[in-house]
Order: sequence, then structure tokens, then C-alpha cells
Amino acid sequence: MAHGIQLVGLGPFLVVTAMLLVFGVFGIFLNRKNIIVIMMSIELILLAANLNLVAFSAALGDLSGQVLTLFSLTVAAAEAAIGLAIVTVYFRNRGSIQVEDVTLMKG
Amino acid sequence: MTHWTLALPEIVLSVCGLAILLFGVVQKRGNPTRACTVLTLVAYLVAAVLVLLAPDGTGYRGTFVGDGFARYMKILSLAGAGLCAVLSLDYNGRQKIDRFEFPLLLLFATVGTMLMASSENLMTLFVGLELQSLAIYILCAFARDELTSAEAGLKYFVLGSLASGLLLYGISLVYGFAGTLEYGGLRHALIGGGPSTAVPAGLVIGIVFVFVGLAFKLSAAPFHMWTPDVYEGAPISVTAFMSGAPKVAAFALLLRVMAGPFGHLTHQWQLLVELVSITTMALGSLAAIQQTNVKRLMAYSSIGHMGYAMMGLAAATPAGIRGTLVYLATYLFMTTGAFACIVAMRRGGQPLDRISDLSGLSRTRPMLALAMAVFMFGMAGMPPLSGFFGKLLVFAAAVQAGLWTLAVVGVVTSVIGLYYYWRVVKVMYLDGPVPAFDRSVRSVSAVTGAMALITGLFLLVLGPVVGAAQAAAAVLFR
Amino acid sequence: MITQLAFYLFATVLVLSAVMVVSARNPVHSVLFLILAFFNAAGLFLIAGAEFLAMILVIVYVGAVAVLFLFVVMMLDVNFNQVREGLQRYAPVGAAVGLVLFAELVFTVGRWHLIPDVTPAAVAAGTPVLGNTQALGQLIYTDYVLLFQACGLVLLVAMIGAIVLTLRERPSARRQDVAAQHARQPADTLQMMTLSLGQGTDGQGGYLRPPGGYGAVAAHGSGRAPEDHETNQHLGA
Repeated sequence: MAHGIQLVGLGPFLVVTAMLLVFGVFGIFLNRKNIIVIMMSIELILLAANLNLVAFSAALGDLSGQVLTLFSLTVAAAEAAIGLAIVTVYFRNRGSIQVEDVTLMKG
Repeated sequence: MTHWTLALPEIVLSVCGLAILLFGVVQKRGNPTRACTVLTLVAYLVAAVLVLLAPDGTGYRGTFVGDGFARYMKILSLAGAGLCAVLSLDYNGRQKIDRFEFPLLLLFATVGTMLMASSENLMTLFVGLELQSLAIYILCAFARDELTSAEAGLKYFVLGSLASGLLLYGISLVYGFAGTLEYGGLRHALIGGGPSTAVPAGLVIGIVFVFVGLAFKLSAAPFHMWTPDVYEGAPISVTAFMSGAPKVAAFALLLRVMAGPFGHLTHQWQLLVELVSITTMALGSLAAIQQTNVKRLMAYSSIGHMGYAMMGLAAATPAGIRGTLVYLATYLFMTTGAFACIVAMRRGGQPLDRISDLSGLSRTRPMLALAMAVFMFGMAGMPPLSGFFGKLLVFAAAVQAGLWTLAVVGVVTSVIGLYYYWRVVKVMYLDGPVPAFDRSVRSVSAVTGAMALITGLFLLVLGPVVGAAQAAAAVLFR
Repeated sequence: MITQLAFYLFATVLVLSAVMVVSARNPVHSVLFLILAFFNAAGLFLIAGAEFLAMILVIVYVGAVAVLFLFVVMMLDVNFNQVREGLQRYAPVGAAVGLVLFAELVFTVGRWHLIPDVTPAAVAAGTPVLGNTQALGQLIYTDYVLLFQACGLVLLVAMIGAIVLTLRERPSARRQDVAAQHARQPADTLQMMTLSLGQGTDGQGGYLRPPGGYGAVAAHGSGRAPEDHETNQHLGA
């Protein structure tokens, strides 16, 4: 089962996930455009974590990482559904999903 | 063969939730919100009894643990959730958001907090936390026709899911470098290497990511930005819930993870926790001074309280954890009581949330003013009230552990805190009266009164609470 | 050899499409690149030996989540003219921070070694040679059943949430009332008539319609109008 990972090695996997994480965080903090892109960046971060878990799970020969990935995929799907519902509600009230507009209350 | 009765409270609560959902959907025509809320309260009660009767032990392949610590935290979060369900009865009706899904989402969020309290595996941590957070995201945006509520939901959602993502990434690093997700296994792995072995940097980074994710849920200092806005925008019945049970549950996770599997690495994270605790206390008290909105004041107040509670964790001793646990109990009841007072702030059917609206309350509603004063002084930590004992225990633990800086900062911020809590009391007792509030309904008054009694007469139950906290803390240091 | 090639192909496309998700000007393009990213991540899952998860990723993410994103992007009339000034303004600082973060991560995870003395739990050890799907199934339905059910609750909460936040019942919405349909008798809707030659029918021509037309029946789905009961009786009697 750990066939592929032995051929490629764990290192490249981790580099890829690190890049995904960085782009995800980058997308959240630099995005001044619209909230849906921020949500996609969050999906990227979760994807990075999942890929990490799967890679480690294969390298360790232990399935619990994959079980957690299964759960986190479920949770991420639920999260996307809820997030989009909230964005829809916000859009109905505000008529825009620009990030700059989310400033009714200032902290 | 797993010992499935361990999770009986959670199972029963979830099944009750499903039944209530079915009931609500079938009865949709007849507006079943009130009935559903009452049923939810009954389910909480049943779950609380089952929690008290639940056996000790580990089950479900080491993902779930039942012990004194879990029991303590579960009772606290059930109490917090139940009180908020009572508050929501009247408030939601008046705000026209009395839909039967509200108590249900509260119930499922509570199932999440209970799972968190019993987590013995990073998987349980993640799933419990997400169950709770997702329900709260929805609750924040529950007043869907109000822009503030939608915006609160959106903010909390974006920042919360970022925190969840980082937490999951941290979990994956911990898993990769320690080879297991179970707390017992992690602990074994970390101690097994012997004290001389260097802990791999990846593991430390993983721990930091996990800590950041949890600190966000606690609204500890550098990750607190969402708190005031979300508290202000969300419906008060939701804010009251958010400041109670989820905080308790997030602390349960933090204590379990830090003192359990990573307890061996205290020197690695102690400084981090100490710094976060100091900034949280300082920020909570300094930023609260200039607030004019009661909800925002409560938000900063709850940020500050998390800092004090974290002080016990920074001490990393059984006495410190005990202090944190007692602190959380006192905080939960004070904050719920204060929010019950805020729910009662309503004039001509409109909810009010400015501090100046409380002006002259001592003459128009003396009992409400007295209760609010009790909560304010309790939170400031005045001696006979409950907040004092919590603070005393964590300060003492910090001093015992040699963390003098922490204790001094704590005392200084408490004094600053006294100033802004006093401001609220001053407005109520010394400023001229404005038109009186609407009469509040019995359910809200009952919650206010009960919480004021607990806060005022905490001395009477101090012994049992400290005893329970002691037993709960001892579990973590087996 | 072929595995390495496949890995680098998938990894490169994955990273490039992640960049495009973040930087694309048009949100619809972002979603499409997200789909591409998911496909390639599924490829990486396959290389790591997680076949089941790879398929789940394609089915759930590409099939459901990404389509949901696409749906919302298109439903909300997003103004595409807003160019990403912000991105340009903050790009240099952001790129520096991102690079540092990335370098640190690579530095730490690059020296991966398991803490000595750890025997991986080897969950599937007792079961000799199982497929990935089978092994995973054995775990989630036995040992991790509690968490599995909790995930079910998460999905339930998401469903309740999506409904409670976005569903608005309009009075004009037409809705099926199964009970009323079943309770209908032929006599309620049809009238047998004997017509003599050369004579037409007046009125409804043998079909009985509920008073007020079918619109009133449909409105009864909303459950607000007081005349609903009346309509109900007409239908159900």
C-alpha cells in the first residue's frame, strides 16, 4: 500500500502541502476582492492538511490518518455548505460580497 | 468490544435532538418553537443526569474517555447551554427569530462541546470542535434579515474556518511526527524518547498550530479580533451561549491536550501560554475602557477572563488547572447572568445595548440593577463574590509556579477591570433616570436571579466546586 | 519511474491551479481552477495509496462542493469589474511573508523522522491483506463508529443550517400535499354527466375545481392564510 510513497518519498509530498498552505493563507490575507475567493482559499488550506494526513498515513503504514481525512472531508463539505448559505444571507442584506464592505462594525 | 455506554449522554442527547427535529418538522404549522425549547431543556436535564451516572474509562478505540474532568466540563457546558435556551425563549420570540431550529442547533452544538470534553484523540477533538463551531456559525447569522447578524455570521465563519484549517494542519503535523493521534500514544511517544532526545521541530510547529486554532476559539489575545464584532452583531441569545459553553469546551480541549500528551513538553509551550495570557488580560481590560456598547464591553470582558483562566494552564500544575476549572465555573454563571440582564434591556419593544441606556436603573428597576451590579463586581473580582475565588486560585497557582510577572500583570489588569466594571455600576446608581425598561418576563428574571444568587453566595458552594475541580484536575496528571 | 512522473505532473498542476484560484480575476475561473486542484489532489491521494479517499475527493468535492461554489458565484451577481487593487498593493509584503512561512515549513518537515521508540499503531495489522476501501470501512464502522456518527451530525447541522438560513417560503410557492392527493376521491374531481344530444355543458364541463382555482390550493403550502382550512375541506371531503 505504501508503494507509491516509497517511490516518491515523503519529502515532495510535504513540500507540495506546504505550498498549498502558503497559497491558501496568502489568498485569505491578500484578498480584497470577494468573500467566495476567501472561502476557496480555506478549502485549499483544508486540502493541504488532508494531503498531509494521507501522506503521513501512507508513510507510517497507519490508517488512522486516512480515517481523519475522511472525517475532515465530510466536515469541509459541511463547512462549505454553511459558508455559502451565510454568504447568500449576507448578499441578500447587503447587496455585495466585497471584502471592504464587511465593515459595519469596527473592532 | 467497545464500552459503548461511556458515550451514553452524547448518544441520548443526539437521539433526543433527532426526535425533536422530527417533532418540529411535523408540527411546523403550529409554531413549535416553545415546545421544542422545552423539550431541549428536558433533553439537557436527562443528559446531565446521565453524565453524572456515566462510568469512567476509555472506549471507542481510545477516541473517547469518561472521567472526572470530562464530567465537570460537560455539566458546565450543559448548564450554560440550558440557561441560554431559557433566555432564548422570550428574546427570540420578540425578535421574530423564534424558529424551532434554534434550540436544535443549540443542542447539537452542545453535543459537540461534550465530545470535546471527552476527547482522548485528536480526531475527537477535531470532529467535536467542528460540530460545535458549525452550529454556532449558523446561530450567529440566525437573524437572517438583519445585516448585523449576517455580518457577524460571515466574520465568525471566515475566521473560524481559517482557525479550523490551521488546527487541522497542526494535527496533521503532530500525527506525522509522533505517529499517532491518540493522547495516550502521543504522551508515550514523547516520554519514550527520554528527556534528552530533542523533540522534532515539526512536532513543535504542529503543537503551535493546534494551540493557535484553540486560542482562536477561546478568543485569546492575538486571535481575538472577531469577538467584539460577532458579539455585537449576533442575536443576544446566541452571544450569551457563545460566551459560555463553547469557551468552557475549548478550555477543556486546551487543558486536555496541553496537560495530557504535551504535558511532558511543558517547557516548550509554557512561555507561549504565558505570553498569550498576558496579552489577553491586558487587551481585555484596556480595550474595554472605551466601549460604550454593553455587548462589546462583555466581549472584551470575556477576552480578559480567558486570559485569567489561561493563567492556571501557564502554571501547568494540578493547582493551576484546578484554579482554571473553578474560574471557568464562576465565569460561566456570571457571564450568563450579565447577558440575562442585557436581554432584559428593552424599551418600547426595541432591544437596547448602550451603557447609557442603563442610566438610573437603580430607581426604575432596583432588583435588575442590583443583579447587574453583582455580576459586574463579581467579574471584577470583589471579595465575597464568586469571581474573587476564581481569581484567587489562579493567582495563587501562578505564584506557586514562580510566574510572578504573570501574577502581577493579572492583579494590575484586575484593577483596570474594576474601573470599567465600576463605570457600568456608576451609570446605574448615580446617573439620572431615563424611562424605564419594559417589564421582563419571568423566565429571564428567574435566570437573572438564580445567577445573581450563585455569584453572590458562591462561598456556600465553594467547597464542593473546588473539590470537584480538584478531582477533575487530578485526572489530567495521572 | 512512471510513479515519479505522475507525481510531479499532478503536483505541478496542483500548485499552479492553487495559484490561479487565489489570483484569478474572475471568481468563476477561480472555481474552475479549484476543481482542477481537487482532481490533481485526488491523483496525489492515489499515489499515496488512498484510493477510497481519492474517489471521495472527486465525487464529493468536484461533484458537490465545487458545483455549490459555482452555483453561488453565478447566483450572486458578483461585480467582476473590481480589479484586484488590493492584491497588487499588498503583494510584495505578502509574497515575502509567504516565502518565509514556506521556507520554515519546508525546513522543518524536510527533516522528517519519527520520534524513536514509536511503533505506529498499524491499525490494520490484525487484518492481513485488505484493500484500502475495505480496511477503511472496517475501521469507521467499528472502532471509530462514534466519530462517524458525529460526522453524520455535522452534515445534519449543515443541512438544517442551509435550510434555516436560505429557505424562504413564498405564499405563491406550489407545493405537493401528498395526504390531500391520496384523500381525493373521483367524485371530488369528476362529475358524471349525461348530456343529451346537441346540448353543451355549462360551467366546468364535468371537472370540479376547488373554489378560487388551483392557486388557492397551492397557497396552502405556506400554511398562513386562514382560508386554507376551507380549501382543505373541499379537497379532502
